[in-house]
Amino acid sequence: MARKTHDVLSVDWVRLELLRTAYSTRGGLFSRMDPRMVLAWYLVMAIAPWFTHSTGVLLVLFVLGAASVVLARVGPLVLGLFLIGLLGNVVGLFAASFLFGGDLGTLVALGELNLKLGAVSMASMAAFVSLDPEKLSDALLWFRAPELLAFGVSYGYRMLPILVDEYVTVFEGQRLRHAPVEKPGFLGLRVVWQWCVLAVTAFYPIMLNTAKNVRTTVEALETRGFTYGAKNEAGRTLRLAYLRVSALDVTVVVVTVLLVAAAFLVGPGVPVIG
Amino acid sequence: MPTVPPTTHPTAQQAAPQQATAQRATLRDTASQDPAPQEAAVQDTPAAQAAAPVIRVKDLSFRYPGTDRDTLRNVDLTIERGDFVAVVGGNGSAKTTLCKTFNGLVPHYWSGDFAGSVHVGGIDTWESSVAELSARVGYVYQDFQNQLVRPTVRDEVAFGPLNFGHADYRERTDEALAQLGIEHLRDQFVWQLSGGQAHLVALAAVLALRPEVIVVDEPVAELDPARAGEIYRRLRDLNEREGLTVITIEHHADFIAQFAKSVVLMADGAPVWHLPIQEAMDRHADLSSHGVPAPDAVALTAAVGAPHVALDVDSAVRILRPALREQQVPGSEPVPAAAGAGNDGQVPGPDPATPASGMVDTGPEAGETVADTAPPAVVASLRGVHHGYRTVAGGLSTVLDGLDLDLHAGEKVALVGTNGAGKTTLMKLLTGLIVPRAGTVTVDGIDTRSRSAARLADHVSYIYQHPQQMFLKDSVREDIALFPRGRRVEDAEAIVDRVVAEAGLSALAERDGRSLSGGQQRRATLGIGLAMRPRLLLLDEPTSSLDIRSRDDVTTMLESLSGTVQCAVVATHDMELVATWATRVLVLDRGRVLADVTPQELFSRPELTTQTRLVPPQAARIGLELGLDPLPLTAEDLRARLRTIDGTVESARADHLSRTDGLGATGFDTTGTGER
Repeated sequence: MARKTHDVLSVDWVRLELLRTAYSTRGGLFSRMDPRMVLAWYLVMAIAPWFTHSTGVLLVLFVLGAASVVLARVGPLVLGLFLIGLLGNVVGLFAASFLFGGDLGTLVALGELNLKLGAVSMASMAAFVSLDPEKLSDALLWFRAPELLAFGVSYGYRMLPILVDEYVTVFEGQRLRHAPVEKPGFLGLRVVWQWCVLAVTAFYPIMLNTAKNVRTTVEALETRGFTYGAKNEAGRTLRLAYLRVSALDVTVVVVTVLLVAAAFLVGPGVPVIG
Repeated sequence: MPTVPPTTHPTAQQAAPQQATAQRATLRDTASQDPAPQEAAVQDTPAAQAAAPVIRVKDLSFRYPGTDRDTLRNVDLTIERGDFVAVVGGNGSAKTTLCKTFNGLVPHYWSGDFAGSVHVGGIDTWESSVAELSARVGYVYQDFQNQLVRPTVRDEVAFGPLNFGHADYRERTDEALAQLGIEHLRDQFVWQLSGGQAHLVALAAVLALRPEVIVVDEPVAELDPARAGEIYRRLRDLNEREGLTVITIEHHADFIAQFAKSVVLMADGAPVWHLPIQEAMDRHADLSSHGVPAPDAVALTAAVGAPHVALDVDSAVRILRPALREQQVPGSEPVPAAAGAGNDGQVPGPDPATPASGMVDTGPEAGETVADTAPPAVVASLRGVHHGYRTVAGGLSTVLDGLDLDLHAGEKVALVGTNGAGKTTLMKLLTGLIVPRAGTVTVDGIDTRSRSAARLADHVSYIYQHPQQMFLKDSVREDIALFPRGRRVEDAEAIVDRVVAEAGLSALAERDGRSLSGGQQRRATLGIGLAMRPRLLLLDEPTSSLDIRSRDDVTTMLESLSGTVQCAVVATHDMELVATWATRVLVLDRGRVLADVTPQELFSRPELTTQTRLVPPQAARIGLELGLDPLPLTAEDLRARLRTIDGTVESARADHLSRTDGLGATGFDTTGTGER
């Protein structure tokens, strides 16, 4: 079998998708909004589904969630993982209940929970794909989240691409230096098993290297006034001074609230099985 | 030997131009019992009051908690405002600890036993805090990548001013970026930056606090020489235009000679001396005995007995021209067409220093020189290779563009070119980690498309740029044994034992690779590569971020590669390595082979080196300016063509150190007696 370069579903693709997601390079409606309003919008969308048991209402909310995923331009990797998770959940639970004497009614009962989870997950994807690290950290700071949390979030994002690169490098090194399995075994299970082992053990050098590197970071934070800034309000005020709520922000949030309210009104009338 | 030449201390302004700022040369000297320096330390001239020193260290001793000896011992040091100081000294001489006392990290972050005092701009650091002092003294770390904490460049630079609540943080950010000429980077993400850019951003972030002093810890360690030179030029600008005091910790004497105004030599926790640059370089024997070998310009001009050594290439050329042995008329020299000929052409006479190893003998460069021998076997070849990567934005960026190349047995190939020229991609293609989008790559007769990278690893091995990414096990021995044991190679244990011994790691074999020093880590990764017994060995920047001594170790080890390794390819920015090791140089530029030459030819074509941002070794630059043909590549080569004051021709690099020591002494003695 001749090897060739794959542009999708390759390690490199996963890496790029992570970056596109984390740094919201695809744009989209919510990425143009004030980060505080995006978080407010997210709260509305994420909390509303928990106040109802009506499958009809949940179906409408699910559709709203799907619409926001489209508006936020969520990438294929995250979306794919979500679908696999959701469908896997439905199929798995149904299979399990069927074995224990369930019928189609079980599927409907499961539908409620999965619609709920689906709606919330899609709102989360839409919100967090649209917030780049700087905005997210500033919004958290505005909501009086602890300084360390707000900083940690942005620092995590800054480290992510570097850690992913390092992981890929170490993993490749593992593959080169470990002997390939001689016989692939049933369905290539031995190959899969070796990949899994190598993928996990590749974390070992990375954690040790990171632990070593972080010492400089901590010292540098000190010299750049991080602890000083955490104790003094002036820096926070300056940092957040740029945040402005625009007409777009208000419109999006108001429209969302109205739509959610409408969902609760119209929902019970939506024809759903059960 | 007096520590302070008595003529250098009074009236700062009128002293020789370069030396003005650093006339104070007075530190507690472990080697000298001369009482004079202590007196010279007391500044009472009127000029001294006009510009109070920016940093004054008095009787400072410091001991880290949990250790049983002082790291800093009785340090007395004064740094004048506007100076450009290089702090030099061997490993463990406490250079970094000293510099961390300037911004209060010692004793406020690293608490320990602290005695004596440090004043920065009149403030006693003991009574101040890291936050307050950081606004006066900026610090750029050696591993500056870890100093960057925010996602974007703009946010990174504004981070300090925002924390300190400076309302003008935007102006400060713009100003700092403008000072370094990197405004175009302001919206970039930090992970998109190249090493040189990241260093400038770290520097800008420090400048945004408008400090009076900047400390830069070993900029050359993590950067290639061309980029490090750029950083130094920016630092010199800041020093000259803005009057900023710059302190660098540095191993590389050529940068010190070119940029610094004064030098502090540290040994064993205390300064040996602090001298203006010219005098410091005149004492290159002191420097060299403390692990800072003299740059070629200094060593060579000292060898011909110049009263004051040359600090850069131009002045070295002026001094050395009259000292040349019989000037050869170009065209009539014994070695014809030297530039194009095989490597052997360069060695004048019985010089054993240059390439002598098992690998070269397999065959001369190319068929052109000797017609009767069969061309050496091809180890790897690339035919019409195109490759590119997807970008975050989704486009395809081409890295290699129609590459045709053959690598032969017996070759020692250096792969050079700017960042992004495609060096690493080419290496990864040869390992089979990636396959080309078009064209074929054949290694040891195997098309890389037909076999997995793990199986190709029997034929080719690849050594990463960052050694810590290759330490997968908890001891060096286990890491070296991983490959041969896993593949059930016969006598695997014997191979491991031999490699451990060859790499000089016998004493360290049971330690975790991460706990070793930079040079030891490199040797360990070379050992890992050798234990794989490849036909083709690929190395990515094997000498980067090493001090000069460890770099020589690694170069020596590369020289001795033999046996199963038929061909070695090194991607490097290190032109000293190219000069002493390579037999063939491939210059990559924007995905194509710009030139396929010998090291000599590369260094005799300035247009080529300029275009690809390569900095030839100083000796080669001096040789080129002197119009020597064939071009000398190392200081030893060039030295053999000079009338030196001791009249003998030595060559082996091994005794370099003792030789310069000896010369230093005689050089000093004879200067007064009118030698030349």
